[in-house]
Amino acid sequence: MTLFGVLGFTTPMLLVSLLALPILWVILRAVPPAPVRRLFPGVVLLLGLKDDDQVTDRTPWWLLLLRMLAVAAVIVGLAGPILNPEPKQEAAGDAPLLVVMDASWASASDWRARMRALDGLLAKAGRDERPVALLRLSNPEPVQFSSADVLRSRLSGIQPEPWQPGSTTATQAIAALPEDDFDSYWMSDGLDRESRNGLLRLLENKGDVQVFENPRALYALGPATLADGALNLTLHRLRPGPEVEVSLVGHGTDPAGNPAVLFQAPVTFAENALTTETKQALPAEMRARITRFEIAGTRSAGAVTLPDDSLRRREVALIAGREGREGLQLLDPLHYLVKALAPTADLLNGSLSEVLLANPDVIVLVDVATLAPGEEAAVLEWLDKGGLLLRFAGPRLAASDVSRSTEDPLMPVRLRAGGRTVGGAMSWGEPKTLAPFDEDSPFAGLNTSDEITVNSQVMAQPDPALAERVIAQLSDGTPLVTRKLVGQGQVVLVHVTANAEWSTLPLSGLFVQMLERLAISSSAGAVEAEAMDGTTWQPISVLDAFGVLRDGETLPGVDGVDLVDEELNTELRPGLYQGENRSLARNVIAADTELALMIWPDHIAVEGLSRPQETPLGGWLLGGAIALLLADVIASLALSGRLVGARAAAGLILVLALPVESRAQGPDDQLAIAATSEVVFAHVLTGDAKLDQLAGAAMRGLSDTLFFRTSVEPALPMAVNLEEDELAFFPFIYWPISPDQAIPSDAAYAKLNEYLRSGGMILFDTRDADIAGFGTATPNGRKLQALAARLDIPPLEPIPEDHVLTRTFYLLQDFPGRYTGRDVWVEAAPPDAELVEGMPFRNLNDNVTPVVIGGNDWASAWAVDQTGSPLVPLGRSFTGERQREIANRFGVNLVMHVLTGNYKSDQVHVPALLDRLGQ
Amino acid sequence: MTQTTAQLKSRAQDEASRFPALLARAEQLAGTVLLGEHGRRRAGLGDDFWQYRPMRAGDSLRWVDWRRSAKGDDQFIREREWQVAQSVQLWVDPGASMRFSSQKDLPTKADRAQLIALAAAVLLIRGGERVGLTGWDLPPRRGEAQVLRLAEMLSREDTTDYAEPEARGMLPHARSLFISDFMSDIAPIEAALTKAADRGVRGVLVQVLDPSEEAFPFQGRTIFESVGKSLAHETLKAGELRDRYLQRLAERKDRLETLCRLTGWQFYCHHTDHSAQSALLWLYRALDGGHG
Repeated sequence: MTLFGVLGFTTPMLLVSLLALPILWVILRAVPPAPVRRLFPGVVLLLGLKDDDQVTDRTPWWLLLLRMLAVAAVIVGLAGPILNPEPKQEAAGDAPLLVVMDASWASASDWRARMRALDGLLAKAGRDERPVALLRLSNPEPVQFSSADVLRSRLSGIQPEPWQPGSTTATQAIAALPEDDFDSYWMSDGLDRESRNGLLRLLENKGDVQVFENPRALYALGPATLADGALNLTLHRLRPGPEVEVSLVGHGTDPAGNPAVLFQAPVTFAENALTTETKQALPAEMRARITRFEIAGTRSAGAVTLPDDSLRRREVALIAGREGREGLQLLDPLHYLVKALAPTADLLNGSLSEVLLANPDVIVLVDVATLAPGEEAAVLEWLDKGGLLLRFAGPRLAASDVSRSTEDPLMPVRLRAGGRTVGGAMSWGEPKTLAPFDEDSPFAGLNTSDEITVNSQVMAQPDPALAERVIAQLSDGTPLVTRKLVGQGQVVLVHVTANAEWSTLPLSGLFVQMLERLAISSSAGAVEAEAMDGTTWQPISVLDAFGVLRDGETLPGVDGVDLVDEELNTELRPGLYQGENRSLARNVIAADTELALMIWPDHIAVEGLSRPQETPLGGWLLGGAIALLLADVIASLALSGRLVGARAAAGLILVLALPVESRAQGPDDQLAIAATSEVVFAHVLTGDAKLDQLAGAAMRGLSDTLFFRTSVEPALPMAVNLEEDELAFFPFIYWPISPDQAIPSDAAYAKLNEYLRSGGMILFDTRDADIAGFGTATPNGRKLQALAARLDIPPLEPIPEDHVLTRTFYLLQDFPGRYTGRDVWVEAAPPDAELVEGMPFRNLNDNVTPVVIGGNDWASAWAVDQTGSPLVPLGRSFTGERQREIANRFGVNLVMHVLTGNYKSDQVHVPALLDRLGQ
Repeated sequence: MTQTTAQLKSRAQDEASRFPALLARAEQLAGTVLLGEHGRRRAGLGDDFWQYRPMRAGDSLRWVDWRRSAKGDDQFIREREWQVAQSVQLWVDPGASMRFSSQKDLPTKADRAQLIALAAAVLLIRGGERVGLTGWDLPPRRGEAQVLRLAEMLSREDTTDYAEPEARGMLPHARSLFISDFMSDIAPIEAALTKAADRGVRGVLVQVLDPSEEAFPFQGRTIFESVGKSLAHETLKAGELRDRYLQRLAERKDRLETLCRLTGWQFYCHHTDHSAQSALLWLYRALDGGHG
């Protein structure tokens, strides 16, 4: 490979052919574009005309340039150009190569890139046949050089550890180094630590040291603390930089127990700031459900912090047997408890039955002897579910008979009557001090002080079970604190009072520590190592370097002091640990952790991860050459005058592509124009082809009749589809009922109702002669009912004798069609219509009846064929013809009624009008 | 030609049917003594009754109208109106250069020329004129059959690129109609027109041009060929030639017009992308002369 700065070529010899370009220029320039042959009769007139410009038989320079560029691009493309090619390792020594990796949580976020870089390094070492070994500083193992390929095959198994190399691991690492000389390649995580320098000096003595470091931003998240009811979180970053915003996410469970993101908040690092703090005010209930905080998008254990019980405030209900006397605060039985618990717990006050509803974590009964039976059962139930009942003794308890002969379920032990008093004015002996706590006591490791004295106490009745229930005792062996497990909960009895009357215990710091150990209060501050003395903590879940929680149940328990003080290592992994009554989180980033940037000595070469990638350019160049040649095609066409057709085609395509705005008149418009330019009657398409045909013929017959006899001159009738067609154009619609008809859609009903309301008329024809009268007896009748159920039809009545339909054109009293049924229904007259004296008719409704319903099969009577002769025979001879005539007259009256409304009804008033005019 | 004779005829009749009967101008009736339907408003040979006049000496007995004479003592001779017919001779360029159209949806020039010529012929024959071709092939005759013969003769094609006008066999004082693109050498055209003018023939020149011949919309390196491939001209920049070509075309038109003015002919330039009817309308006016 030949290198020209950032550009390299795989076959640079091909570039020599670039020299041929000038020759090509000359050749191409001499060749004019091929001519077009055209038939042209006017050639006669052209004969003898010379071209003005003799130069134009050469290819124009810009076209030549285009072609040259294309050819040059092809040549260069084939020469295999590569941008940022891997520089050759110069004078790579053949000494063994030791790859030193920090392999800490700080490398985890870009671990994959590191592995890729390592893979490339190993590949190169394999080509150079150098033996290679790997040393992970976070978990050093003896170094053994092997061939690079062997190491490469194990590459996927190399993982970072969720801690940093510490002083112990540094020692181990130095011990693991081989005797012989070797070169080193240190894949650093960028964090400064004390152990580095010694190791670096050692490595430099052995051979060359090259450092690999990723200059990426590294974020870490400190543990969450609780202050003033808000969560405080500290975010760190390794390198100062511009202002940047990261997203802080709190994972947890929703109330149903499913994993959920409980909060997400942007946190901004100010410019050049290395740390930033954020406050998150969350409801206590939601806070308790958070299982982990993390910086979104960072795969690293350092960007995860696990909350423990210190974030929880326990609910403690305090119930005293007697009220404190006013003004005597220090004698208040609850005073010391309130003082001890208030900073770290939520205190509940109230009667026992009330606080039980709140399901507190702890109920403290101070000198309460007996509970009501109902309360006792409720407390037992609450205990079964994991409650902690803490009882303090007192005069009342001592005086009562509770748990005297038989053990009270809410007492851990039986009590002797009266208790005892020692070291008082009226008693012998010295006040008693506390004996050291047993190993298996929850208070194990707490320091007992001689200053704590006990003057009075209630005494436990000796019992076989007593010994195991004692968790704290006095120096003379009398139990001071006893405990009994009830279901998942426990009952703890402190045999002294909760105030300083009987002992000085509540005055001491031990009192608070004991409450802490009992998990009644939880300390918000850092856990003191001494308070952890003698405890063993079981990992529940541990973090791996990538910040993923793993099950930790199979790991061995950890000593409490180690958990607090020891630096993280193989035995002490970051994660959540469960103690006796509480959980404690050990996070990668402690509260006092500072991220410090490693500054390497100047003579150490530091290589970055984000070196520009090697990019082959051949494909781009060849593609560009093709594009240039395409441009050349177009340019050549344009030059030889052959682009006109192409241009026209392009224009045509453009025109076709444009949205066609001026739409031709659609079928709807045509229908509307046809229906509105003349009076047009319509019939509803029922889906029964024969019936539709008959109805069409009937409308034609009716139209003809009107044409001949009246001044109404309708155009050809139309068939309407209720679903699709607009009805408003038609003054009159004939709707023959067929039992197979489909029920119209909602939209169609809306249209029909609108039509009826706005003055249209529909003639419903059941065509069954209504043989049953009011009949739903026929299928057609039932169908009509189904169809009309959703129509906006006014009250109906059979046509009264004085209805305007009987006289709009002809005087009629019968309305026969094919049948001569009597019942034809129209809109009912208003109830107040009365026959006025001297008037032949009532003054009826003003409107046109929107519907006429009958069953006389008028379609058959009206229907005519193309020549105008009746389609359906009617009756016999003359009577039949008479019936058809009357049917036609009904049709005429109907249409007249539709078109003229109540005009004929108004004729009633003519005599009155004439009278008023004085004539 | 792909067009059949019948098609051509029917289309021509279609065109002709849109006009009232065309009565050709007949100024010079005296020279042609052939019968026609142009009444001379004087007694002569013809079909229509003109007047009865008393028999004079020298009148042949055969001329006596015996029915009229039997009504009285005098003998009358029935005179008929002197009627003459105009002869119109057509020449439609049969050359190959006419068989050209620049676009698919345009008719060829030959097609258009034949259509116009035949339409005019139909009109003339319907008006009672006698229509024929110049030369000896089809002398002027009247009647529907002549339309058929004309259509047949017009459909003949010549293989030469640019045909020269046929000026032989022209009847004196007849009318004539030359339809061509007049792209050929101007000298024969001049000679033909001069010869016709000498014989008292007056007429019309209709130049039929394709729109591309008028616009010259060509670009780039081009070899222009005549339809018969006898002529070719190569250019490297067709666009540069446009102005000079158009100038030459204008000169050619101008020359033709001048020629027409000198000989008393009329000149009209028709483009195939215009409707044939516009040309026919103009022809109607031109042939109808001052009678319009």
